[in-house]
Amino acid sequence: MGMEQAWVLPAIPATLFVLIALFNGLMPRRGDFLAVLGMLTVVALVFVLMADFMQAFNHGHYEPQGTNVYAFDWVNIGQGFFIIEFSTYVDAITMVMLPVVTIVALMVLIYSTGYMKGEARYGWYFAVLSLFVAAMLTLVLSGNLIQLYLAWEGVGLASYLLIGFYWERQSAAEAAKKAFVTTRIGDVGLLIGIIMLWRATGTFDIQEIIAAATSGQIGETYLTVAMIMLFGGAIGKSAQFPLHVWLPDAMEGPTPVSALIHAATMVVAGVYLVARFSPVYAEVLIARDVVLYIGLFTAFMAATQGLVSNDIKRVLAYSTVSQLGFMFVALGVGAVGAAMFHLFTHAFFKALLFLGSGSVIHATHHQEVEGLGGLRKKMPITTVTFIIGSLALSGIPIFAGFFSKDEILHFLEADGPVWAYPVLAGTAMLTAIYTTRVVMLTFFGEPKDQHAFDHAHESPPSMAGPLVFLALLATIAGFFVFDQVGEALGFAGGIGYLVFIDHPHEFTSIDWVFAGTAAAMSVIGVIIGWAYWHGDAERARRARGWAPDLHAFLVNRWYMDHMYQAIINRGILGLAGAVAWFDKRIVNETGVDGGAQTFGYFGYRLKFLHTGKIPNYALGMAVGIVALTLVAIGG
Amino acid sequence: MFDRLPLPSQFDRVIVAGGTVAAIVATPVLVVLLALLFSDVISGPEFVFYLAAIVVVSGALGAVLMDNVVHAALCLVATLLGVAGIYLLLMTEFIALVQVLVYGGGVVILLLFALMMTNAAEDPIVTDGSQKPFGFLVAAIMGSLFVAALLDAQWGDPTANVVPFVDFGTRIFRDFSVPVIVVAVLLDIALTGAFINARRAEEAPRERAEAERAGEARS
Amino acid sequence: MIPIENFLVLSAILFAIGFYGVLARRNAILILMAVELMLAGVSINFIAFATYLDADAFSGLVFALFVIAVAAAEVGLALGVVLRLFRERRTANVDEADSLKW
Repeated sequence: MGMEQAWVLPAIPATLFVLIALFNGLMPRRGDFLAVLGMLTVVALVFVLMADFMQAFNHGHYEPQGTNVYAFDWVNIGQGFFIIEFSTYVDAITMVMLPVVTIVALMVLIYSTGYMKGEARYGWYFAVLSLFVAAMLTLVLSGNLIQLYLAWEGVGLASYLLIGFYWERQSAAEAAKKAFVTTRIGDVGLLIGIIMLWRATGTFDIQEIIAAATSGQIGETYLTVAMIMLFGGAIGKSAQFPLHVWLPDAMEGPTPVSALIHAATMVVAGVYLVARFSPVYAEVLIARDVVLYIGLFTAFMAATQGLVSNDIKRVLAYSTVSQLGFMFVALGVGAVGAAMFHLFTHAFFKALLFLGSGSVIHATHHQEVEGLGGLRKKMPITTVTFIIGSLALSGIPIFAGFFSKDEILHFLEADGPVWAYPVLAGTAMLTAIYTTRVVMLTFFGEPKDQHAFDHAHESPPSMAGPLVFLALLATIAGFFVFDQVGEALGFAGGIGYLVFIDHPHEFTSIDWVFAGTAAAMSVIGVIIGWAYWHGDAERARRARGWAPDLHAFLVNRWYMDHMYQAIINRGILGLAGAVAWFDKRIVNETGVDGGAQTFGYFGYRLKFLHTGKIPNYALGMAVGIVALTLVAIGG
Repeated sequence: MFDRLPLPSQFDRVIVAGGTVAAIVATPVLVVLLALLFSDVISGPEFVFYLAAIVVVSGALGAVLMDNVVHAALCLVATLLGVAGIYLLLMTEFIALVQVLVYGGGVVILLLFALMMTNAAEDPIVTDGSQKPFGFLVAAIMGSLFVAALLDAQWGDPTANVVPFVDFGTRIFRDFSVPVIVVAVLLDIALTGAFINARRAEEAPRERAEAERAGEARS
Repeated sequence: MIPIENFLVLSAILFAIGFYGVLARRNAILILMAVELMLAGVSINFIAFATYLDADAFSGLVFALFVIAVAAAEVGLALGVVLRLFRERRTANVDEADSLKW
């Protein structure tokens, strides 16, 4: 399969969505095998595509044989004034996204056959997952902004449907609504950005826009605003401050969904978008600084919130928000390669952690970490794989997260503001602490809920298999940073050239002192976590007593949801009241009802004309003819 | 006064009375027209035209003004025959023939049958609708508008173009074969429709008859 | 040669008389007769134009012919309707058939 045929990738799951959604009742096992097999095909095709891509990608120079674009005009208005193409575009960024999306999706689908067994709407679940994969692949393959926007909303739709999968539960329905509305706010920004870019360049094609922007055809202020608007979409989708509030609530959905959509793929769409436009962001440094500071603040804030959350999935959700902040920090200093690398590794270990937590929830039907404990005896595979994921997240050397986080810190120290590096390094340590806390509370210590503990059991192979596979990836994904690994795998120039699209040569060696510092901080973080939460977590309880206000502040998520609720209550509901008054009094009673009453009155007054007798109608017709004749002759 | 004549039926009486009235009215007109003709005020064809026009207009007036439906129908016959004469004056003898055959032979007979089958046989006197004055006003305005417009227009040089009888037949079945077939189908459909509509209720399909009975029972 | 205006004015008068008949009459059959008058007026117009103004002098004739044919069809059909009306309502007066206003 060549790169021009990349459109096949989203077409397969899209077809499966239709098939499974419509006919899952007729299929054996409600069609889940179809989704898995389709995903397997897509993964295979991705590797074929990658081989084709690598042939054109030699030692940092990308020289495609012919075109890698597939395109046809979708809408063409006014002789080229307004063209929307359907187009696919494949480059290094896409090539990083594709295996991430498809492999994690495949693992999640396999895992779901075990996790979701016996659920109502089992077939619908797989249908929507297929829809999500189709939309996500369209998103990363899209060559123009309108198609990207459609796919962007498509993943949002799938996310909404899956967060609200248990819609019988009030909280799930509300979380789905919150996620959709919150991301919509960002999407409006994205749409404004797209329109602004179109106005300035007259095209929706991403590469043409980048070319126009980097050659200085767009005014700098205008471009800055457009890029910040574009980043607004990324803020919404990637759950950055101030639109991060939906992601923790999105944990109401089934856990595999959280692993796929809310950890590995959809939420990194914002990172992908900013990375895609990184040449433009390099032109407008104010917009890039916005990306940097928002990422930095979000990373720190979410890490502190993750420190106190009681829900295992929520801890992971805060962790995701925080890690996405890391990626935006990397983008904010122009280190696109580092961001994409962290995206790559994070997808695997965070999906692993989510699936591990799903395994725990599946076994115990509990997700409050303070109610669990000692599960290592009952669930060895889950425990080991979860710990591997945690080590990767904490940034312990040899595990994937260490390498990618190290790259980000490295670039931040080199190119970022002086004070930013300590903040992010501290955040990395916080990451290690809260990760260790979850591991300690869940798998070690004494069981706090004996009933749940007795009930617990190791998960079936369909769930354990993906865990082991992802644990493997979480261990080795970091080594892709070394060229030698890629060359050994047969990639010309090393896979590092692929992931690190710019400055490929800076990654051939590692600054051991710097790396050692980062590793030491992670280890310290793990030790702190162990010290506070091992056993019965006595020290942590005492620590809580020292600063109850701080604890409450963190538990209440920095009071941000309260603040938003207040804004909604005061501002939006007040405005809505005014609008409602206008609608009721002016539009409805005066406009609609008044109009109806006016016509009703005339109808009542004129109804004598409606006799039902044909001669009267004939007379009316005759009068009309005479009038028309008069007009015709007079004119 | 006609009762004393040996005329058995009402129709005969109508014909005799109508003919008498027509003769009384027409004689002076005829005299005037002849006088105009012989004094060369009007030409020979114009004489014929005015004659036919008088028949047409007076017949038409009779058809819309007479209270007795049978009289009105007979006036219509006069009008249609007069129109046939107009056609002859326009040198379209085929249309004139068709006019006489179809209208005089078919349509009017149908109309008379319909009158006979409705209550005209027992009560031949009809009353006009309540909107008669409005109708008159509208028709008068329309007629005067048309006349004014027609007289106002410039019609260019009139040339008499005549289609020979043979040409007419050839062309209508060659160039206009499709419209002819369409008209044939139309006539067929009309015939079928008329038949279905006029059928007796007892012959109607049973469910419709039942529905009608239910309607009667309700009313 | 007779001026064309003569025929046109005659047709207009005939049409107007027929129009009056349609509006003023109550009996459906008489209305039909008035419609026939209108059609006759129109036909005169067609033929006058064909003979005087059309070098081909043919289309107008075909129109007139078809008007006659359609009129025949119309009368046949309409009389069926009138008979039906008379059977159902015992009247042939159109203003008594007022079920258009329900």
